[in-house]
Amino acid sequence: MTSAWLLVLAQQASDVSSRVGSGRIQGGWEYVWVSYAITWGALILYTIFLWRRRPEATTGQPE
Amino acid sequence: MRNWLRPALAGVAFAMLGVGAFLGLSWAPPDREMGDVQRIMYAHVPAVWMALLAVTLNFVSSIAYLFKNTWKMDALAEASAEVGVLFGAVGVSLGAIWARPTWGVWWTWDPRLTTAAIMLVSYAGYLALRRFVEDPERRAVWSAVVAIISYVDVPIIWYSVKWWKSLHQVQSSEKTVDPQMVFALRWNAFALLGFLIFFIWSRYRIALREREREVALPDVLPSGQAGRVETSGAVR
Repeated sequence: MTSAWLLVLAQQASDVSSRVGSGRIQGGWEYVWVSYAITWGALILYTIFLWRRRPEATTGQPE
Repeated sequence: MRNWLRPALAGVAFAMLGVGAFLGLSWAPPDREMGDVQRIMYAHVPAVWMALLAVTLNFVSSIAYLFKNTWKMDALAEASAEVGVLFGAVGVSLGAIWARPTWGVWWTWDPRLTTAAIMLVSYAGYLALRRFVEDPERRAVWSAVVAIISYVDVPIIWYSVKWWKSLHQVQSSEKTVDPQMVFALRWNAFALLGFLIFFIWSRYRIALREREREVALPDVLPSGQAGRVETSGAVR
């Protein structure tokens, strides 16, 4: 009885340990991908914006 | 300045960002509490740091404009504010996305989030003010004053997590964070620093060219500025 109980506790401890090892919050990769996409998107779009408005490109254009 | 330097800087920044994405998404370990969701930190934290750096530069150049009265400082203030709003918007957006799986809400009126939102609104107002005022001299002076007032919020953002009870975690230190996490965070911060310099530099050139065009027109020539504008319209 006691050894069986200890076995259950050990199993539970092992389960908890494995869960903590990869974090209590499981999954959530969609939030990560969206975050990196927003960052990359903002940096790329602003780079394009600056490139299109660079002084060399707008020289000679009407005011 | 050499023409290849800015494109080269952009290239290095993009390359570093690519490596940074690998470090943040794959190489760094998951967090003990937040698991893989914590990987948002490698984009969120550097973006906010860059926003704070940009608005600090805006603050310094605004003061410098009021003392030195040169268009270069005004152009630098305009450039740094716009780039600060960009990084701030990215940082706050990512914070909201990170909040959903960890706090259960997209947004809460926590001191750190509220002060960050105030910063975004103030600097968006600063940029709007610059668009609405046509006289370059008035625009420069008024926006410099608004910039100095807006900057009061920045130290409050930084210390808000220490001064008040906040859902937002306090600043991490090397003693509390895994070395792999520290390295990935620093790498991504330097990548975004490359973008910050590239963006402000490029935007500064655009703003300075706009000032040149404005002061070259006699009807908008700022009073008392005539001595600083050469006949070619070049800006000092």
